Amino acid sequence: MIDSFQNIAVTAFPEMIKIDFKSIENRYLKVILINTFLVFVIAFLLVSFADYKGLFEFIENTIWIYLSMCLCFVFILLVKKVGFKKRKYAVREKDISYEKGILFRSLTSIPFNRIQHIEIDEGPISRLFGLVSLSVFTAGDSSDDLKISGLLKEEAKQIKEFISNKIDG
Amino acid sequence: MGNTENFSQFRRQSKKGILVIYLNIVYKAFKAFWILLFIFIQKFSKLSESTLFYIYLAVAALFIFFLIRAFLIYKNFQFKIENNHFILKKGILKKTNTSISFDRIQNINFKQNIIQQIINVHEVNIETAGSRKAEISIKALSFKRASALKQAITISDKSITEETNNEEEKPLLKVGFLELIKVSLTENHLRSLLLLIAVIVGFFQQISELFNSFGKQDILDNYIAKNATSLENNIILIVGLFLFFTIIAVLSSVVRVVFKHFNLNVFVKNNALEIYQGLTTKNSVILKKDKVQHIIISDNPIKKKLGISFITFKQAISGKAKRKQEKIIKIVGCKSAQIAAIKTLLFPHENLENFSKNFSDLYFRNRLYLRGVLLLTLFNGGLYLAFEISPIFWINILLIPAFIFLIELSYKKQYYLFNDEFLLVGQGTIETHKTYVPFFKVQHVKLKQTVFQAHKNIADLVFQTASGKIKIPCISIEKAHKIYNYTLFKVETSQKSWM
Repeated sequence: MIDSFQNIAVTAFPEMIKIDFKSIENRYLKVILINTFLVFVIAFLLVSFADYKGLFEFIENTIWIYLSMCLCFVFILLVKKVGFKKRKYAVREKDISYEKGILFRSLTSIPFNRIQHIEIDEGPISRLFGLVSLSVFTAGDSSDDLKISGLLKEEAKQIKEFISNKIDG
Repeated sequence: MGNTENFSQFRRQSKKGILVIYLNIVYKAFKAFWILLFIFIQKFSKLSESTLFYIYLAVAALFIFFLIRAFLIYKNFQFKIENNHFILKKGILKKTNTSISFDRIQNINFKQNIIQQIINVHEVNIETAGSRKAEISIKALSFKRASALKQAITISDKSITEETNNEEEKPLLKVGFLELIKVSLTENHLRSLLLLIAVIVGFFQQISELFNSFGKQDILDNYIAKNATSLENNIILIVGLFLFFTIIAVLSSVVRVVFKHFNLNVFVKNNALEIYQGLTTKNSVILKKDKVQHIIISDNPIKKKLGISFITFKQAISGKAKRKQEKIIKIVGCKSAQIAAIKTLLFPHENLENFSKNFSDLYFRNRLYLRGVLLLTLFNGGLYLAFEISPIFWINILLIPAFIFLIELSYKKQYYLFNDEFLLVGQGTIETHKTYVPFFKVQHVKLKQTVFQAHKNIADLVFQTASGKIKIPCISIEKAHKIYNYTLFKVETSQKSWM
């Protein structure tokens, strides 16, 4: 826990590039892979059902559909696998940040004094691995706020506690 | 001041409110069932005496029911003010008790539709950031009581009280009829046309449902199809239609602007802006200074020539509520002096004049071109599928220069500049929009990069405020980091309340 909270004096200029980001749990990669796999299994089932019903009659050989789907699957898996290393977060004295993405990179920071509420969610598959996701909400249109997936339950609770104390204090 | 009226006890609205509520219910019922009425009139001759009698009886019963309902709504609607909270009890069967703290109130609006004007009462709406509709809507209050209520709410949340009250009130801005015509003629007519079309489409859907229920859909379809085929081979008709739509668009913007902004007056009182406007529905909004998140000042080339522009005030909105057209608070027809006055009122330390503009990287232009090409390709593909005749593709001769023109414009107009406290982002194509936001109102910051942008060391910067996103596209990563860090620093050290 210690290394993720750096004590930076308030007046010191907070420099985002210099702080150490912490990676999320490695186990979460499995969750991502399983989730993607499930999505594709469902897609495959739907397509084969449609094929069985004869919806693709205008295409000569339906094997191409399956092949392109497989290619798509492999590509997405690869992107997710490489992109996983880019998922990092940092909790500092006064803000929380999250970095992610390989094709579309993004870095988001939310100062504690703008946080409205914090949520901890457990997905069905994440739960098998004992992982949770932490969502931070701000005022206004919060569709684009911060969500850190693949945290240990204990760790997420600690972060939540830490932020709550900061907000109240 | 407001002591002639005492709100510490529960009280009802003015008795005339029954009438307002009653008519409101009737209007709503009519809006929902006008199709039924239409059918009734059509079948009128076929109905027998006795059925007709029953129908009249049912309608009469309905009207009496509405009246009783209106009376009960009035009877159960009570409000008071208690230690800086506005408390409202309402509901006939399902009782609701609402309590709103004064400093959560975003704005207080007075409204008068025609009926309310005739019987001389005011509707008072109290809005917070929470919901899309007004939290509290008091349908009928006498003007004296309404303004007393307003004073009670706006004044007791600030310690500043008597400073400005003794002065003779002079409007900061007054827009006369001629000025308003000028404003309306220079509006974005395309937008007015789209708004009008949206209304007509909605109406058309209702009509087609009606025909559907009669099983006469084909008549309508035939009618449209016949007109459409004659349209295809008639150039004159197309030109005529074009002219027609242009006139309609201009007319609709004139009507819209005049109705909405008739007799526009803006006052400055106790740290708040009061905006009065409207022809058939008189509207007044009290806009509290601290509740404004950011403002946008916009104009277009013609407006610029005339020296007028409009200001849009953005306030905090709740997550799910879509920004509704009527909830946007806008002052049209501002002269530069008035803009300066409003700016100094809202953002006292704003002085961005001497700072030089920073422009986006060339990458931004390339991205716009790429998107333009994609859009054109899609459009042409659509044309190919829809028409399969080649002459239609000549339209590209018009479209491509238009695209290039718009892209060059929007690249040229995209800039940002900032001082210690403020960020100004300029953007636009034909219209120009300048967004002013104080750094401390930012909720969170985001740095975005695609792989290609990363390769060129360029990033998009997105500021999320409670009132929406503000984007600076394609600036160098070093600058982006600097602004990013500075914004965080500003927000984290700010003691001011952002809402």
